[in-house]
Amino acid sequence: MPLLLGFIFGGVGFAVGAGLLGAIRTSMGLEFWSTDMSWSIAYPVALLGWLAGVGGWKYWATEWFGGTPAVSPKGVSRYFEFNMDHKVIGIQYGVTFVALFLLSGLTAMAIRYELMHPGMQLFNEDQYNAAMSFHGIGMVAVAVAIVMGCFGNYVVPIMIGARDMAFPRINALSFWLVPPVAITLVIAVLLGGWDTGWTAYPPLSVLTKSGQTLFNLAVTTFGVVSILGGINFIVTIIYERAPGMTWGRLPIMVWGTFAGSIIAFFFTQGFAAGLLMVLFDRVIGTSFFGAAHGGSALLYEHVFWFYSHPAVYVMVLPAFGAVLEVLSHMSRKPLYAYKWVVGAMLGIVALSGVVWAHHMFTSGMADYLHAPFLVLTEMISIPTGIIFLSVLGTIWAGRLWVRTPMLFALAFIFNFTIGGLTGIYLADMPTDVHLHDTYFVVAHFHYTIMGGEIFALFAALYYWFPKMTGREFNETLGKIHFFIMFIGFQLTFIPMFQVGVRGMNRRIADFPAAYEGANVWISMSGFLLGISFIFFTVNMILSWVRGRQAAANPWGASTLEWQISSPPPEHNFDEIPVIQEGPYEYGVPGATPHARLTGAVKHA
Amino acid sequence: MAVIVAVVVTAIVGILGAGALLLDRRPPAPAGEQNGMNRHLAVAAILWVIFTALSLAGAVAMDPFPTGAAPEAAFSDHAFRLMTYMGAPILGLVLAGLVYSVLTFRSVGGADAEDGPPMKGTGMVPKVWLGATTALAVTVMVSPGLTGLAEMRADRTSDMTIKMTGQRWSWTADYPGGITSDELVLPVNKRVKFEVTAPEGDVLHSFWVPAFRNKIDAVPGMTTVTYITPNRIGDGKDDVAYRVQCAELCGLMHARMAMNVRVVDAAEYDKWLAGKVKK
Ligand SMILES: [Cu+2]
Ligand SMILES: [Cu+2]
Repeated sequence: MPLLLGFIFGGVGFAVGAGLLGAIRTSMGLEFWSTDMSWSIAYPVALLGWLAGVGGWKYWATEWFGGTPAVSPKGVSRYFEFNMDHKVIGIQYGVTFVALFLLSGLTAMAIRYELMHPGMQLFNEDQYNAAMSFHGIGMVAVAVAIVMGCFGNYVVPIMIGARDMAFPRINALSFWLVPPVAITLVIAVLLGGWDTGWTAYPPLSVLTKSGQTLFNLAVTTFGVVSILGGINFIVTIIYERAPGMTWGRLPIMVWGTFAGSIIAFFFTQGFAAGLLMVLFDRVIGTSFFGAAHGGSALLYEHVFWFYSHPAVYVMVLPAFGAVLEVLSHMSRKPLYAYKWVVGAMLGIVALSGVVWAHHMFTSGMADYLHAPFLVLTEMISIPTGIIFLSVLGTIWAGRLWVRTPMLFALAFIFNFTIGGLTGIYLADMPTDVHLHDTYFVVAHFHYTIMGGEIFALFAALYYWFPKMTGREFNETLGKIHFFIMFIGFQLTFIPMFQVGVRGMNRRIADFPAAYEGANVWISMSGFLLGISFIFFTVNMILSWVRGRQAAANPWGASTLEWQISSPPPEHNFDEIPVIQEGPYEYGVPGATPHARLTGAVKHA
Repeated sequence: MAVIVAVVVTAIVGILGAGALLLDRRPPAPAGEQNGMNRHLAVAAILWVIFTALSLAGAVAMDPFPTGAAPEAAFSDHAFRLMTYMGAPILGLVLAGLVYSVLTFRSVGGADAEDGPPMKGTGMVPKVWLGATTALAVTVMVSPGLTGLAEMRADRTSDMTIKMTGQRWSWTADYPGGITSDELVLPVNKRVKFEVTAPEGDVLHSFWVPAFRNKIDAVPGMTTVTYITPNRIGDGKDDVAYRVQCAELCGLMHARMAMNVRVVDAAEYDKWLAGKVKK
């Protein structure tokens, strides 16, 4: 019902915005409708209408104007409207982004079908570009937001012994900005799409068709989501920790979220500014990027990568956190070199801001920039190496419980090693001038983002599924999902390294016949990879609906979220817990428990 | 290159992983005593050597590179191989750690399973590790990184200049003397300076010939420069590496924005040039 209201109010808002603009334009003797401008004006008004409709008015704004805010329902319906409980929001993020992940994944299947043979099969060039661009931004959005949005929201407040996030309303607001982003992108594709990938480089993005305007509006909104989320996590983790939860006792997942949030908060604004500048060039005739009127196309590349390189760490730092969490609990050993890992995470945060121009070695930027960015980029391998030390030290001589979450966590390590090592080829000028913008790059970032972060996502998903849903998942289906996904992933992306070196460039609707053999192989493997998600989807739905009741602590883990019922009660803790020890004291003789839930009432 | 290796390694990991699952009920290996631990370390070290050797053997056996038709290409391939050789032991180490741990330290688990030894990594190991990884990183930075960069830039002389213009969605090559061509014909062993640009009002493109392993963007309103000395005769009609391929997304026909490249001997080049002048 509030969803329907959201759509209606959103539609009304769109009509009002476009109508007002049209009236002004008509009075000036212009045409009523001008696609790019009308959309740019109507979109923010529609956004406000949507927010009001889905519950922003009923639960929040009305109070400001002297009304009485409504009370949230208890059942399933609360997931479909504005709700301020961090656990509801976590599940909202999780489900929304898994849906977007599957949709973008289906697009990838279509792309692989097209690229199986030379010539055009399924698409024409224009449709291919639209599909490729949608797959790109869809997956980037998933990767940026899903681990923090879902598990950051659901688990982090519980882990630090808080009853909710610091700003629950902002939290709900930032989630409810997500559906309009996804819907706008889908509408853009249905109206013909845009053809600049997820990077939106001008001058093309200034000159191309109107789908680009919708892209810029949607993705700027997504930037707002990311910034609001980042602020909320930073404040929550600084101020909402339970007594005794010192910085040295924070579970590593919390540290990962904290580090990722700093980057999201600090750098996303660069991207948003770049997108708005493109929008201004398109709609109101500024010339930030047009050479003919004194603009510079390189300016955008700098602004864009100033965010978009750090964005990789917004994706991967919480993923590191989740994986290390799983590895420690499921090896039943302390997290190896914990404080070094924290230092490494913060080191990555610091370095992430000064490496962006490694994406621009062939852009024609000034020569003197090459050496410093080469050196700084390769420095990132030093803190990343610490993470690997921690991984190996944690599983070594442990009691490894090789269940589905553990398998995904271990695979993350393997994939991320390949992703990291192949990154060095791209940071080095002599090889990068050949490999830049080839399938070698495609393979590399799929190894870091899909092989890395998405594998970590599944580790986290299976690990916390019993906590979040109160149900057990099916272990056999989980393992089938893992093995098909792992093998399909390797078979798909390893040959891409090779075909890239051989001279196949990326983002192309068609390729020379010489690369056909490799592409048939890649597509076939890609379909295998796609099949794994059928097992995943079936498992999630069946287990959630009719899985066995999960125990409070099925993994025997020490952190706080496992000390309360599955799913947790509404305000998490009846009394604020007291933290008395680090979170990973496995095997330490005579260690006191991590937390004391003084006199806590057990919930069934 | 790591392709074959990684496929082999993947297969191994897959098989071992599947084996591990089948044997899920096996009790945990006894560990904890010092000599037991030394034995574990010794076996894992042997695994490390094996995985590294496998990677290196694959790298030597496999040659993913397309035709190299310039010293710049040989230089790039050399750097590529160097990084593969340095990366192999790292991949080997991680693999050895993962595979050995999964096989040896597996337990039946359970919510109240036995704990492992409380190793916290507060001693010397992280310091040694940090030193080693820093040394490795600095090595890669210096060579092939910075030295490679310096060498790429060292020679800025040329025998001739060709202006390459990328526009949606084709390339134009402008030779000295007002000759314009839609095919890039180059005399062998002559150093060519390419001045690359795009018309104002057009979009970004990128000038890339796989056989030369070199790429530079064509930016509207800017001229970018790169140097190549083709040293191997060849024709894009027989070898796909001889083509100018636009390598920066430029819209609708980006995929088709290519131009044939021919590297020819001096006599043939003069003949081609003469034919062009006549027209
Ligand atoms: Cu980057
Ligand atoms: Cu182009």
